[in-house]
Amino acid sequence: MERTVTIVPEAGLHARPASKFVQTAGEYDADVTIEKIGGDGSPKNAASMLSVTSLNAAHGDEVRLVAEGDDAEAALDALEEILSTPEASEDGESGDGTSEADGDEE
Amino acid sequence: MRRTETRSDPTVSERTLSGIGVTPLSGVGTVVWYRPDEALELDDPPRQSEVDAEAERERFEDARDAAREELEAERERARERVGDEEAAVFDAHLQFLDDPEIESAVDAELEEGLSAEHAVSEGFAGPIEQFEAMEGRMAERADDLRDIRDRLVRLLVGGERTDLSALPEGSVVFAERLTPSDTAQLDPEIVSGFVTATGGRTSHAAIFARSLALPAVVGVGDDLFAVEEGTDVVVDGDTGDVTLNPTEETRAAAADSDRAEVRSDPVATSDGKPIEVAANVGQPAELEGATEQGADGIGLYRTEFLFLERESPPDEEEQYETYVEALDAFPEGRVVVRTLDVGGDKPIPYLELPEEENPFLGDRGIRRSLGVDADLFETQLRALLRAAADGAGDLAVMIPMVATVEEFESARETLDSVAADLDSEAVDYEIPEFGLMIETPSAAFMADEFAARAEFLSIGTNDLTQYVMAASRGNERVSELHDPQHPAVLRAIARTVDGAEGTDAWVGMCGEMAGDPELTELLVGLSLDELSMSAVTIPDVKANVSETDRESAEKLAKRTLQASTKRDVERLLDGDAEN
Repeated sequence: MERTVTIVPEAGLHARPASKFVQTAGEYDADVTIEKIGGDGSPKNAASMLSVTSLNAAHGDEVRLVAEGDDAEAALDALEEILSTPEASEDGESGDGTSEADGDEE
Repeated sequence: MRRTETRSDPTVSERTLSGIGVTPLSGVGTVVWYRPDEALELDDPPRQSEVDAEAERERFEDARDAAREELEAERERARERVGDEEAAVFDAHLQFLDDPEIESAVDAELEEGLSAEHAVSEGFAGPIEQFEAMEGRMAERADDLRDIRDRLVRLLVGGERTDLSALPEGSVVFAERLTPSDTAQLDPEIVSGFVTATGGRTSHAAIFARSLALPAVVGVGDDLFAVEEGTDVVVDGDTGDVTLNPTEETRAAAADSDRAEVRSDPVATSDGKPIEVAANVGQPAELEGATEQGADGIGLYRTEFLFLERESPPDEEEQYETYVEALDAFPEGRVVVRTLDVGGDKPIPYLELPEEENPFLGDRGIRRSLGVDADLFETQLRALLRAAADGAGDLAVMIPMVATVEEFESARETLDSVAADLDSEAVDYEIPEFGLMIETPSAAFMADEFAARAEFLSIGTNDLTQYVMAASRGNERVSELHDPQHPAVLRAIARTVDGAEGTDAWVGMCGEMAGDPELTELLVGLSLDELSMSAVTIPDVKANVSETDRESAEKLAKRTLQASTKRDVERLLDGDAEN
């Protein structure tokens, strides 16, 4: 079972969205892989923070999710939901977020 | 990267290393080297026949459990000390710790017959290398992985970690790099600052330093390793200068600015002109810090926080309560609230914010408030006018990104129509002071026209610099150009102040520049009435205001405005500091 999803969160598959994605992938029995379309082509373990982060998938990129196992469909639904939900820019790791907190907005 | 040996004959003369300053603070203290990996040098791998693979596998599991406990405890500590956002770093660490890919890499090494510590070291090497080869934020993930690896190795070899939370007072921590768990242990009450050889403005260490208001310089490079333990040092988190063996004057200057007393009373120049010193605030939680640092009021209350990270805009009531809270925090003072300032660079799900090729020159600020976001603007003004009547302090409403007189006049018309509505509904309201931010070159050129129509002008130097110099704020390659000490920016500021002369409009400044204590005299000399800044620099600026004599400040400003280059400006400012 597979599905192609466009990444909506502004942060891409980093920071909080990545964290949520990996955690969710780990909650299902199904083995899920993720692959960036137009990337190096090899599917990566969706339950691995390392693999998911190293995809370096940005907002607007397309990814292919492949799931195998009893709850494959439920897993894909949950993961698609995360990738399709916009998230306000909130991560304190980006340069912009930082400078904003510093008061150099003007 | 290895450190060079410390020198046997330390130079006693003052010497300066330079890096990237990440906090607008300076600190004086003594160098304490933090070398967490020193205890983590592993022996050569033991011969494979000596290793019980099953036992090593168990040792690895135990270390991982212990690491998990430590991380959870540190996460709580970070949450209490600096907030949720920074604590999230530890969530990522916990996920890396349990990462199945890393686990299988370590497993493979264990099966090869390596001891647990060597297996961890080898198993992490690939992923660390992979991230190091990537750019920007991705490269900083390598720091996270190193942090986790070192934690595991330390737990496995039983190494004691240097206790960063138990350093002597006045320590300035020197390190190759500081990981998030390192910085979270630093107590700003005790530690005077830190300096790292690596790292950039957006590294975790830099972000933590800012949250903790710690003087810090990062990215000094390999020269740092030659500095001896115990050396006296002044860290200037503003300029990025790390001064070793500082002279008495250097120390005094830094210590002075550091120990400025918090004064909650308004200050005036030595010849008696009152200058309002206010705080820039980005969310309600910062109000307390502003009062603690002795702010007279809020010179820039950003309202974006109300609109971010949610599915629908805040209603009038929620906004009203938020604004009243801010006004109640400064019963004797003024709170300048800036209306919503968003554009294509800040995604807000429920707003139509199309990606723009150049969001900083696009549909943002007042342009949207008079256009696509007109309804939001009205709601915000309603909430503000009601809050003005009920909150303790005085409200001022500031319009962002104004480029034309018509924009300001339209905004004023909206304000009037909102007031008329409230009037007809018999709702309590008050008309606040109404003004604009001077951040476009257009607004600076037209300052006289604006001053004739507004109650105040507030110069946002960060964006004004960006637009005057055509140099992006966030781009390090042009950071030399993005500096308000360029004569063109100073002249734009002077033009703004001149434009308001003879009118009733007051002129303030709410960019980073206002909070630079070294520029206080110049800004007073340029005749600004109000300076608004990050709360941490308020005591310094207040102290400097009260020591400034207007006549000599005006002379300095006049000379500075005649300068033809940034270097000349800097020379004039330095020269004056020595007098």
